[in-house]
Amino acid sequence: MDRSKALGHIVLVSILLVLILPFLVLIIWSFSQGWASNALLPNEFGLRGWRYLFSQQSRMLSSLGMSILISLVVTGFGMILSIPAGKALGLYIFPGKRLIELLVLAPTIIPTIAVGMGIQIAFIRYGLADTLLGVILVHLPLVLPYGIRIFASIYKALGTKWEDQAKILKANGWQRFWFTSLPFLYPGMISAGVLMFNVSFSQYFLTYLIGGGKIMTLPILLFPFVNSGDRVMASGLSLIFILSSLILMLIIERVITDSEEKTNVYYL
Amino acid sequence: MVSRDSLKAYLYLTPALSVILIFFLGGFILAFIQSLGYFPAIGQEDLTFKYYREVLNKPEFFKSLSYTFYIALLSTTIATVSGTFLAYYLLRTSVKKSFIAFLYKFPIAVPHLVVALMIVFILSQGGILSRLLLKGGLISDTASFPAFFYTQNALGIILIYIWKEIPFVTFMVYTVMRNIHTKLGEAAQNLKASPGQVFFHVILPLSMPSIISASALVFAYSFGAFEVPYLLGATYPKTMPVWAYLNFISADLSARPIAMVINMIVSLVCAVSIFIYYLSAKKYLRKWS
Amino acid sequence: MSYSVKREKEDRPVKKLLRILLTLSVLLTGCASNSSVPTPGQVQNNPLDKEWTTILSEAKGTTVNFYMWGGDERTNTWVDAVVASSMLKEYGVKVNRVPMGPDEYLNKLIGEKQANKQEGSIDLVWINGENFRTARQANLLWGPFADKVPNYQNYVDKTAPDIANDFGFPVEGYEVPYGKAQFVFASDTTKVKNPPKSSAELLEWLKKHPGRFTYPELPDFTGSVFVRQLMYELCGGYQAFPYTEQVNKATLNKQLQPLWDYLGAAKGYLWRQGKTYPSSIAALHQLFADGEVDITMSYNPAIFSGMIEQGLLPNSVRTNLWNNGTIGNTHFLAIPFNAANKNGALALADFMLSPEAQLSKYEPKNWGDLISLDVNKLDPQSLKDLEGINPGIATLSTEELQTHRLPEISAAYIPVIEELWKEQVIQSGQ
Repeated sequence: MDRSKALGHIVLVSILLVLILPFLVLIIWSFSQGWASNALLPNEFGLRGWRYLFSQQSRMLSSLGMSILISLVVTGFGMILSIPAGKALGLYIFPGKRLIELLVLAPTIIPTIAVGMGIQIAFIRYGLADTLLGVILVHLPLVLPYGIRIFASIYKALGTKWEDQAKILKANGWQRFWFTSLPFLYPGMISAGVLMFNVSFSQYFLTYLIGGGKIMTLPILLFPFVNSGDRVMASGLSLIFILSSLILMLIIERVITDSEEKTNVYYL
Repeated sequence: MVSRDSLKAYLYLTPALSVILIFFLGGFILAFIQSLGYFPAIGQEDLTFKYYREVLNKPEFFKSLSYTFYIALLSTTIATVSGTFLAYYLLRTSVKKSFIAFLYKFPIAVPHLVVALMIVFILSQGGILSRLLLKGGLISDTASFPAFFYTQNALGIILIYIWKEIPFVTFMVYTVMRNIHTKLGEAAQNLKASPGQVFFHVILPLSMPSIISASALVFAYSFGAFEVPYLLGATYPKTMPVWAYLNFISADLSARPIAMVINMIVSLVCAVSIFIYYLSAKKYLRKWS
Repeated sequence: MSYSVKREKEDRPVKKLLRILLTLSVLLTGCASNSSVPTPGQVQNNPLDKEWTTILSEAKGTTVNFYMWGGDERTNTWVDAVVASSMLKEYGVKVNRVPMGPDEYLNKLIGEKQANKQEGSIDLVWINGENFRTARQANLLWGPFADKVPNYQNYVDKTAPDIANDFGFPVEGYEVPYGKAQFVFASDTTKVKNPPKSSAELLEWLKKHPGRFTYPELPDFTGSVFVRQLMYELCGGYQAFPYTEQVNKATLNKQLQPLWDYLGAAKGYLWRQGKTYPSSIAALHQLFADGEVDITMSYNPAIFSGMIEQGLLPNSVRTNLWNNGTIGNTHFLAIPFNAANKNGALALADFMLSPEAQLSKYEPKNWGDLISLDVNKLDPQSLKDLEGINPGIATLSTEELQTHRLPEISAAYIPVIEELWKEQVIQSGQ
């Protein structure tokens, strides 16, 4: 038994190492000033990267703001669209349900490259290319499958009994939703919110193709640095990326939840 | 006559479906039309399959397809197998729930681009690991450290994918396994079944649908992904999505339909993989329900 | 005969379906829509008909979207800090740098042309070579505008062959010279005592130091010029490639046989035995900084001084040329056919060609790009300032660069050479 316990510790510790160690390297790189080709550690530490990133020219702060704005709007609309859709798929049986279930999954199956390259011309035509609205509109379908699946399974588990009860009490549609369904949806809203937010927050290809370089988000800012190999900049920007994403995840959890029991239904 | 409930369902679905149909499938249909050579800007309005023939006859086609397949298949297999065992392992250990939550929330916040950067720092020939081995005298120069990037073995790309995908598979499977375990696992244990028997005869078959579904999603993702192979792939062959993109941005306009044809092939492979998942999940469900 | 008839019949239902899809796509792309047909006001508002002072006053308060490759922090910072603040101060124009390279923005312009979009998002681009040729041939550029720009009139030697032609392709006033570049090699003097100075010396060096050299895969800009550099040495110099618009692939392939032989002989001695190549010049610089290769290269002769100053490379790195010279070129600024703010673009182009901007750009700590103005036309003060600029520890003197500069060949060759390289070097060896 001891042996398996020790083995267990080894497994957990190595998982943690694999997850955490890369970040240490990232932090060291972001503070390095010169790093000789054979040295294990930088020969000089400095703030070149951080100073540039927090200067006006780097546009880091404005891109971060743009990223947060886009992802929050996408998450908000994603939520509004996927709760009723989830309800329909979770509670009702209707002709064409199978097909619709498949359609809803489509954005997780068909790669975004095919859709992005195909739709670019239409977006240019209708003046949606290079605009905030255009970027939000291409992000939106990507997040819907996650929301719809989560809410569908919650409604399925919930059934209609609570709403029926409320109907007997003569509550109208909104009241029924607000007071009976919504409390059950909270845990799903956290998971869906966090997932939707991150899908939008880390999207590079569609933002680049539709935003045309004019809608500057963090991934758009980061990509050339990773590509051109300025590792100091790339590391600093990556850390800002991860940190802001984690903080916003926490905020989303705090904003939505007020119940003590958090059920995590991230992947249903 | 459509029932009231059906009408209600359609009404609830309309907004979400319209967004998916217009802004996602619409783009796909446009890509399809362009793959048939419909391109008014250069005076091409006739529809033709000639670009499909052209792509299928290119020497790169088969190499690129198999390279992409290899990357997607290998990363999916590794992620699925280790994710499933890890899920079962976490189920049986008494680690804190918050620890498990951390394990799967954390990787969500790290985009592929950043994972790529971190793994390059560690595993490139000039990376930390290679320098450590050099200092320790285990290799004589950095060139004798195995190449992970820009190579045809694509090991670096695969490692980047599985860093993101193992947590995904683990917790997609974990949530399902937890339910099965509480319901059936104890009953099985009361019947004096060994943990191995419980796993292979009860838990694994019952979680199969979720395992297959997780791996299908992971496969479709890694087959259609662009950024990582674009940054770290070999000179030749390119993965299908990268090959499509290079044709798309080519200044030679006649390469656009080629890009769209490659896109269609990538989409087809992804759709087929999901379809296989759907069939096998159905088979399992029928067998065990 | 009967076969084809039968096929046509079989195709019919498919064709019908396609027609339906086509109609759908017309609806989606709105090919028949007139949403972006130019309004009379836009057409009349042609800056070429206006006085320069009118152009400037109309440009005041506008924003110029300047599209340029964005992978170099120093270049970015120079545009964002120096150019943007001077433009705001001197012209009242805001500069918005958009980090997007020529492949992508040309693609975008083609898309906008296809969709008949008359008010585009790009006002000014950084361009040259085969990209300029492509853009001109697809009618993606607006002009000729060069003569409208005062600083072009005042300071540029319009008849100089490297100003009047861009990779042999006549400029005809559709772009103005932004700067000049020359191909150089770089190595760490503590590791490479005598860097190779010809193709023969390079091959000899490679045999002694296997795995310590490579070049970026084509069509990377620098990788492409490296291959042309070899081609000049092995296939009879630039004179062997006269100006042309049409290149015959098979003939060129035969002419380049010595090049393929050389690359074939060198392949096994390259980094990773030439089985793969770094994907971009930045990736090669990274290999160099990591000590995986001993020699790197650049089309910017001052870049290494800048990298040393930033601590990215050791102090002992120096640049060198080849004995028979290296390829140099001019890079330009151009205005897209549908630029929404042509007045602003003209103002920015004018500023970029001012001695003030050119000297600041030449400072190695800013960028180190060679000036595109005619030194003889500079006023005494600017000339003095120019001579006072230290080009940087690893940068060769302007005279040395100038005496070793070889012209580019015509742009039509370049895509064909790149294609042949892929076939001869990459695919044949697999």
